[in-house]
Amino acid sequence: MSTEVIGSSAASPPPEPARDPAQRRPRTRSVFHPFVWLPTTVLLLILGAAWAAVAEAHPYVLPGLGEVGTALVENPALFLGNAWSTLGIALTGVAAGAISAFVLAVVMSEVPVVRRALMPIAVVINVTPVVAITPALVVAFGFGMAPKVIVTAIITFFPVLINVTTGLRSVSPTVLQVFRTLNASRWEVLLRLRLPGSLPYTLAALRVVLPLSVVGAVVAEFVAAGSSGGLGTMIRNSASTARLDFVYAAVTCLAAMGLTMLALVTAIERRVLFWHESRRHPSG
Amino acid sequence: MTGDDIEIRHLTKRYRGGASDRPALQNIDLEIPHRRFVSLIGPSGCGKSTLLRVIAGLTVPDHGHVSLFGRTPREMCRRKAIGLVPQTPALLPWLNVRQNIALPTMVNRRRGTPPESTDDLLRAVGLQDSARRYPHQLSGGMSQRVAIARALGLRPDVLLMDEPFSALDEFTREALRMQLLELWQRRATTVVFVTHSVHEAVVLSDRIVVMSARPGRIHEVLDVDLPRPREREVVSASRTREVEGRVRASLHGAWSSGITATESVAS
Repeated sequence: MSTEVIGSSAASPPPEPARDPAQRRPRTRSVFHPFVWLPTTVLLLILGAAWAAVAEAHPYVLPGLGEVGTALVENPALFLGNAWSTLGIALTGVAAGAISAFVLAVVMSEVPVVRRALMPIAVVINVTPVVAITPALVVAFGFGMAPKVIVTAIITFFPVLINVTTGLRSVSPTVLQVFRTLNASRWEVLLRLRLPGSLPYTLAALRVVLPLSVVGAVVAEFVAAGSSGGLGTMIRNSASTARLDFVYAAVTCLAAMGLTMLALVTAIERRVLFWHESRRHPSG
Repeated sequence: MTGDDIEIRHLTKRYRGGASDRPALQNIDLEIPHRRFVSLIGPSGCGKSTLLRVIAGLTVPDHGHVSLFGRTPREMCRRKAIGLVPQTPALLPWLNVRQNIALPTMVNRRRGTPPESTDDLLRAVGLQDSARRYPHQLSGGMSQRVAIARALGLRPDVLLMDEPFSALDEFTREALRMQLLELWQRRATTVVFVTHSVHEAVVLSDRIVVMSARPGRIHEVLDVDLPRPREREVVSASRTREVEGRVRASLHGAWSSGITATESVAS
């Protein structure tokens, strides 16, 4: 029996076996695995030690971590009350900014003339340092919530507008062709195709603007002189009386608020974007 | 014009920016009989997909007209009488298999024939066990079966398929060809099928339209006289290979004429 040789490559050595695809797939580890928590913990310990050293040498520059903790533990009502006030401004502002940006993005995607008219104005508002108009807003609206909410809304408006506009336009042309052969109305294309397709972009925008809303609220509290509540006001007043432990305790509260918001968006993404490739290949 | 067939008369389509003397489609005349399976084959750039899009009402021709059983393509779309299977499955990733198949019943609700039951369609394409799966959980072949079921769901008068199996491996293509034949045999709708594969065109079609490029035009129309149903024995018979040889010879002629046309334009 003879073996037929096909082509000259038959004499060359066999190729290396391909790697098992499972080995190439990024492994997802539990947060309890040392590989996940150890690097961060080590880094935190180093930073903590550095902090303690600086606080020891320069107590007027940096308070001890223990003092910050004590300030938080001994005045829970004070911090919670102010955090609640800042959170109220941040959430009201982001709701106003994000909802109006979302609605405008939908209108702009459906009516090109509105897009052409409004986009340049939106860009100008985005590049204007909004903080600079806060004093003017205080003059116009007083020391209540209104000027702070407006500043926060303006800050959070643009990222949502841009992301949702991009999402609404990022429709697969072939899916659109299928819809056109079914004579789907614009409303049906919007409802069944564009809006669900823009969801990853909308949530990505929320991931950015929710923590940004806290920044907006605090900055507005800094600028709106005479305002009585909120972590921003508390930071400003504590800094002027050299109560650095209170300043850093308030910053800790703000960080916790930002983290909670981020965790909330992540949880929503995990639940509603199960179909999106960003959820299937989180490391990619 | 009888109104019983798909009739394309003096069709010319130029794309903006394309050479004026080499339109994407030039003076196309074609008749596709009712309930026949017709394949469009030809070299790249011959306008197969453009012709399919014109039939689907997705592209408006510059000259000529298209009649689908006496109606314009847009009228057919309004009646939901066209089923489109694109090259990629084009499924909605947030809907599961059952919901994707039922999609045509959810848009333009007032029009269209009573739809085929989703369960029957799932059974017909062998996906009854995957009804709750989402597109990212399906293989390429399964996704394309969902796209075919979605297009067949409204019992369309004409099914337009644009290289639907081109991204699949050879084994899956073979299996899907046989499944498509079986589905078509039972439904006997008119199919216009764009392909690059001579074997695929011969195995599936009653008629093969060989097109040539630069400009896109019909080179030859070949009737395939293989018996139906096309079981595996028919597909692998020597007669099938003979027909394939005829189509290949015609394609070679179409390719050569495309080259000659390019050279004459260049000179």
